[in-house]
Amino acid sequence: MSVTDLRRAGTALTALGLLGLAMVYGLSFFWVSTESSQGIVQRIFYVHVPAAWTAFLGFAIAALASGMYLWLRDERFDRTALCAAEGGMVFATIMITTGPLWGRIAWGTYWTREPRLTLTLLMWFIFLGYFLVRRSSDSPERGKRYAAVTAIVGATLIPFIHVSVLWFRSLHPQPVVMRTDGGPALPGDMLALLLTSVAVFTMIFAGLFMLRYALEGLRHQVDMRGRAAAA
Amino acid sequence: MSLYLRQVRAIVWKDLLLELRTRERLVAMGAFAVLAGILFDYTLDTTRVQPEDVAAGLIWMTIVFGGLLGIGRTFHLEGQDAALQGVLMSPAPKDAVFFGKTLANFVLLYAVAVLVLGVFTFLFGLEPGGSVWMLLAALALGALGFVALGTLFAAVSSGTRMGETLLPILVFPLLLPMVIWGGVATGRLLDGRPVAEVAASLRLLGAFALVALATGAVLFRFVVED
Amino acid sequence: MTPATQIGRPIPATVTVLEARGLVREYGAVVAVDGVDLTLAEGEFLTLFGPNGAGKSSLLGMLAGALRPTRGSVAVRGAPLDFGDVAWRARIGMVSHRGFLYAHLTAEENLRFYGELFGLGDLDERVPERLERVGLAARARAQVHELSHGMRQRLSLARALLHDPDLVLLDEPFTGLDPSAAAVLHRVLRELRDGRRTVVMVTHNLSEGLALATRVAIQVGGRLAWEGAAGGERDGFERLYHDVVEGRYARGEPTPGRDAAGRGALEARA
Repeated sequence: MSVTDLRRAGTALTALGLLGLAMVYGLSFFWVSTESSQGIVQRIFYVHVPAAWTAFLGFAIAALASGMYLWLRDERFDRTALCAAEGGMVFATIMITTGPLWGRIAWGTYWTREPRLTLTLLMWFIFLGYFLVRRSSDSPERGKRYAAVTAIVGATLIPFIHVSVLWFRSLHPQPVVMRTDGGPALPGDMLALLLTSVAVFTMIFAGLFMLRYALEGLRHQVDMRGRAAAA
Repeated sequence: MSLYLRQVRAIVWKDLLLELRTRERLVAMGAFAVLAGILFDYTLDTTRVQPEDVAAGLIWMTIVFGGLLGIGRTFHLEGQDAALQGVLMSPAPKDAVFFGKTLANFVLLYAVAVLVLGVFTFLFGLEPGGSVWMLLAALALGALGFVALGTLFAAVSSGTRMGETLLPILVFPLLLPMVIWGGVATGRLLDGRPVAEVAASLRLLGAFALVALATGAVLFRFVVED
Repeated sequence: MTPATQIGRPIPATVTVLEARGLVREYGAVVAVDGVDLTLAEGEFLTLFGPNGAGKSSLLGMLAGALRPTRGSVAVRGAPLDFGDVAWRARIGMVSHRGFLYAHLTAEENLRFYGELFGLGDLDERVPERLERVGLAARARAQVHELSHGMRQRLSLARALLHDPDLVLLDEPFTGLDPSAAAVLHRVLRELRDGRRTVVMVTHNLSEGLALATRVAIQVGGRLAWEGAAGGERDGFERLYHDVVEGRYARGEPTPGRDAAGRGALEARA
């Protein structure tokens, strides 16, 4: 797929996704039923949970692509990892800002050591490390390698982080505040909207990914032309 | 002795010998341990908080901060005269180099960790009693995972312009499991609880250390190659 | 010195010790080495000249297995340099203006350390003997930071040759050496050559470089612009060098510095 094709596809997908997002917003405000205990503030759920999903998707892709890059040394894997990481970080930011807001409005506290929130917050910092290491390395080649290593170590140890936080919470009974899974069984309309929202968010992620990938492709081409001109 | 073990041993020995001669990291970490303890002691409002209650957490955080201080310099002496290059050009496998440096760092860090334990026991009036050995075991297991990650990322950070300032960002998120399991185990042991109650956390600390070591050993070669 | 097409004994076509094909090394947008092919037989001593920035150190680094080539391959005694497998590293020794030494270890300790890494068995005999050979026996117990630059270079040389490598690579070893250290280096290099060890040396020192070499090459802009058997007067070569570096040779212009022995002996690489 050429850069132009990718750009077109990316724009289309993003536009579609944003339309979908508008639809999700509309539905979450006017159509879906209200959750009994929390009231309307619970509807942030339809943004918060898909954002978490997309953040982890981005992270997983970044880690996998990083592994492929170290193994096969193909620049395109590194580019994939970079774009996925950027997307992941955006959605992680959304998740960790909506989370505490939700908590504050619904239950009066910002921070409840909720496992998924802690995990996403730490993953956000692992991403930060990824970008910092990439940018501040002595040479671009090194930066790519170091970043790949950072992503892989992060992915390998994330399960430990999750397990340890769950373990911690089992020791200190926390008030059951944020039922991000919506409770024992999500009523049909909520489930439907949630799944739709997840699909929409994934679409936006994919669209942004393509646009970003195309941009990196352009940058690479400019580099190559510059090099050819200098030779 | 197999060649591999011989190579690891040579690197451990070399690092410890250099540390003994230059003493740069030992002194910095040791002084930090004591001074941090003193400062922490004065930050506690003893009318509202019992020092024994918060000791476990403070011990681990002091080890983390002090440890990072020393681990960050792991590759400092190697950079002068490109000494590490010479080692990398030798037949020693990259994971052997990693294990050697990690083990040497472990010796250093563990010494400091024991010092921290001693300092806080002294200042906070703790009474470890019979569970001292389990406490030392908990410290050892936690320290192992810590140095594995620290050594790997010390190599990374030494190749960046930000250098050691990058280390906390890279390492802290990954240390959460260590402070949780280590902190809980230490807290319970200091409280005089039976060993059975800390067995789970120690096992988990051990698993964490194992995975950290394995990951470091595999990825180190990608960090130091050129 | 009489003009000659070859120095000393003829070089038999024997074992190929080093074979490099299409070596390319890029640092981001900068191409330091731009397609180099090189074949060295056992016992050959190649001196590599060239202006700064020509990529000589990068080329040497790739031959030593210290740098990963962006493209191309290197084989030592037929076995390709595979970064995953380290056995071949025992066959290569590298001397650079960076010492690869630990400043706070003694000369003896530095050698012992590398001896352990190379898995050498007889260190108790080997280390003192090598220190003796480079004239540092008296300073065996001195820490490296107490040694002069010349002594450090000598120790560095001993370190690189400790494991008796087949292929010896030297990156500007004569730079900054006092006359006595330079004499020691010259003697050791001569011994290597007479012992049929294969050597590649990068240097700016025309006299030493020409005196020791069996083959000579000039690297300009990442490529081997000129390669030939060693020989000829130093002045003649110097003129040739300038011609090559300034591009006159490659462009086919008349070059007054051309070796009087004739073109047959010279191999041009455009």
